[in-house]
Amino acid sequence: MSAIQPPAETVWWKQPLDRVEGAWISIALLWSLIMFIMMPLWHVYGKQNLSNEAYRTTPQAFLAKTQAMVDAYTVRTETETRLPVVHPPPGSDVYLLGRLWQWWPLLELERGQTYRLHISSMDWQHGFSLQPVNINTQILPGYEMVLTITPDTGDEQTVICNEYCGLGHHNMTGKIYITEGAP
Amino acid sequence: MSDENTGAPDFVRIPIFQRILDNPFILLFIGVVVPAVFYIIWGIMEIVTIPIAP
Repeated sequence: MSAIQPPAETVWWKQPLDRVEGAWISIALLWSLIMFIMMPLWHVYGKQNLSNEAYRTTPQAFLAKTQAMVDAYTVRTETETRLPVVHPPPGSDVYLLGRLWQWWPLLELERGQTYRLHISSMDWQHGFSLQPVNINTQILPGYEMVLTITPDTGDEQTVICNEYCGLGHHNMTGKIYITEGAP
Repeated sequence: MSDENTGAPDFVRIPIFQRILDNPFILLFIGVVVPAVFYIIWGIMEIVTIPIAP
């Protein structure tokens, strides 16, 4: 028998499956099923592949919503560039925008409270990455990603950009402070 | 009348799966259409149905 010659019988479909080939197919099928099951399992137990919501928006509309939150809930500013630190009410919608090259504004959230965090980009694709808790999602202009978050670990989480976005990408950072109560 | 000593019989029924796997054009069609539908078409349908932000 050779691979380049026609099969010995016209109806080769009826030829019994060879033991080695049958074993190969069984192992490959088993591994495929394991990898398939791992996807929902890792979604639940690995806390990756977020169940986030996505909406269509525009950079202007999202900037307006973010600015409204900053105007209402700023508690202080930080650094010489006077970055606003915002303390929104627990359970409310929190807005964070990514732009070249910062995450704006800095957020101060209360431990154990749940917030709906809306994130969008003003220019092009960025990668929202919250460390060390390791929550990651891609951020695109024109799309508003919503994560439901409950800060419960640490006092400070740092937002970094993990999608290369230009010369200042490595400096594109933000902060989420976690406090015990109202400011 | 067919003579079994000189060649194949006049009629043999080919199973449907053998006919599919032996036809390179059917395989080409499946290989293009299945990924196009499940990845491209389904993906575009998901993207265009993203709701507008409230």
